[in-house]
Amino acid sequence: MNTNTRKKKRVDQIVRSIFLASTLLSASFIIIIVIFIVMKGITPFITDNDGLGVVNIWTFLTGTVWLQGTAFQSNLYAVGFIIVNTLYIAFLSLLLSLPVGVLTALFIAKIAPKRLAEFLRTIVELLASIPSIVYGLFGSGIILTFVYNLAELFGVQSKGGNSVLATVLVLALMTLPTITAVSEVAIRSVRKDIEEGSLALGATRTQTNFKVVLASAKSGIFAAAILGIGRSLGEATAVSLVAGNAKSGPNLGLFDITTTLTSTMLQGLKETTGVDYDIRFSVGIVLMIVILLTNFILNAVKKRVGNVNVK
Amino acid sequence: MSMSNKRKAIDIAYQAITYLASSVSLLALSMIVYFVWSNGSGLLNMDLLTKDYHAKYYNGEMVEVGDYSTTLRPSDLDDDIYYSEQYGIGLSDAKDREGNPIILVEYIASDSPMLKLADRNSEDIIALEEGMLISKVAFFDKATALRTFGAEYMVNELDSATDFREIVFTSLGGGIRGSIITTLYLIGMTMAMALPIGVFTAIYLNEFAKKNRITSTLRTLIDTLTGVPSIIYGLMGLAVFVPLTISVTPATSGNLISGSLTLAVILLPVIIKSTEESLKVVPDGLRQASLALGANETQTTFKVVLPSSIPGILTASLLGIGRVIGESAALIFAIGTAVKDDISIFGKSTSLAVHIWSMMTDEPANIELSSTIAIIILMIVLVLNITVKLLSKKFMKPMQ
Repeated sequence: MNTNTRKKKRVDQIVRSIFLASTLLSASFIIIIVIFIVMKGITPFITDNDGLGVVNIWTFLTGTVWLQGTAFQSNLYAVGFIIVNTLYIAFLSLLLSLPVGVLTALFIAKIAPKRLAEFLRTIVELLASIPSIVYGLFGSGIILTFVYNLAELFGVQSKGGNSVLATVLVLALMTLPTITAVSEVAIRSVRKDIEEGSLALGATRTQTNFKVVLASAKSGIFAAAILGIGRSLGEATAVSLVAGNAKSGPNLGLFDITTTLTSTMLQGLKETTGVDYDIRFSVGIVLMIVILLTNFILNAVKKRVGNVNVK
Repeated sequence: MSMSNKRKAIDIAYQAITYLASSVSLLALSMIVYFVWSNGSGLLNMDLLTKDYHAKYYNGEMVEVGDYSTTLRPSDLDDDIYYSEQYGIGLSDAKDREGNPIILVEYIASDSPMLKLADRNSEDIIALEEGMLISKVAFFDKATALRTFGAEYMVNELDSATDFREIVFTSLGGGIRGSIITTLYLIGMTMAMALPIGVFTAIYLNEFAKKNRITSTLRTLIDTLTGVPSIIYGLMGLAVFVPLTISVTPATSGNLISGSLTLAVILLPVIIKSTEESLKVVPDGLRQASLALGANETQTTFKVVLPSSIPGILTASLLGIGRVIGESAALIFAIGTAVKDDISIFGKSTSLAVHIWSMMTDEPANIELSSTIAIIILMIVLVLNITVKLLSKKFMKPMQ
């Protein structure tokens, strides 16, 4: 009996340590990601890159041409304009997807008849589950043609539709379901008494929805926007199919070709050594920092405006 | 009264805007489905799933001159098919994707000498098959019949010659068998790695971990993974798993194992979260009852807690499979973009999603086949989603 109990205890200990080991492993990956990408990514700035010379970190962060000279024969890389492009495109796409998403969420949560609401919720879920490569395919098949024709209407010859606008539209479509779903949860969790108070004071249902419910849910809606921006900043394959791969910038015109941090990383990955390979990890570091900073700033803003404050 | 009428009009306008906004999602989904279906449904058939992607080239010659076909032109052959009685083959004119003329083999008689050709590049016997393309037939004593001269010319030249020097033909290619096999490998290997680690982690966090700073740090580290974009996972795969697999396996470049390892890390937070959620709804009474009856921690975990969390694990698995099928950016780095027909877990090849990316970045982009693959991906993702929804309706509610 005693030995049996001890044996059981021993098994418990082994099993528990396996569980602990799994947990430590799971938790370690984020550290591994950061360490390895940083290690690779700083190589161009601290070694002489096989005789090409050190990449100047200041010109890298502020420059307006991706690469001056030939790949593997130059150390003049720069992502300054790409950082601007990436943020510009992410915020423009949010400008489209946030109002549409929030209004859709309001419709589903408060206005639509139950059946229609359920139907739309399913549609949004399906949109959310479509892989980004399919959005990219749709973008290069339909949105590029649309943008090309639109540009022609304005007398602009766009490069096959590859443009800031096409990228913004694709990203707006991709972030729409996320924003809608998160906003809907926020809208539905608005306290009933706030709504009833508004109605009791004589406001109509619609006035209440727009002025009181949306205002009360703004913290959640802000969270949705932050998620949407995060997805836009990190999205890679769909963007690379419609951006047009600009080599210099910043590209602010709607019909100009553009490039983002992610699409730059996907461009012409052939060799597996040398500065042209390592520099992608440097772009990766920049991407992570851009995402972190954007999140941090937006969260700070959210804290300031997030409190329920109905006027 | 007029004030309230005005209010009503404004309210209706506001409501109309929400209707309009909601129609965007519906419109977007319909357009995506319509787009991939109208472009891709033409190629959707069983052949596509079993064929190779790359065309194969063959150079053949007659094994035995004079061994001709005796089959007459079958009556059910279409009018635009030209039939060579001597060689028993029916050919037609067609155009390839770039608009170049090609000659398509529509029919081969069972006694056609084209079924037993000597391969000029090896000792093998090769066969012309229906659906293949003939690029040219070269003769000993007259000019070569090129595909650009058309099917009628080629048939006439063949029938007026007793022998030919060589026939050059290609299999059509354009199939996605390799990418389907790759996707299945990736799903299998990824789940085999991610499921146990993810489930064990969830069990540890939910059942064993003390509520202290260390545990909450571990949780934060795992949660942070959720916000990492997949291209960053790809970089990690390239920097960590590719060199690792090269050093311990026969692989010499990015490979399916390095791809699966990368995908497994992507899936971990999903699996951990979903499993934990279903562990949370297991009532504590069950655990205490099991322990009180003399079972130890291990027995309680595996025989009482884990079975109750199976719906959650199943949900996580289905979501995981969907993620593997849809993932592209991470795999482009962690494996590569070369579309292959012969698949090895130690070699490069593309999943269905990366196959699309590979074709869309080619010049000219193959939108047709990309859309066909997209239809397949969408159908799988749709089924997975519906199953997840049904599962959560069926299992998650009564436990609460």
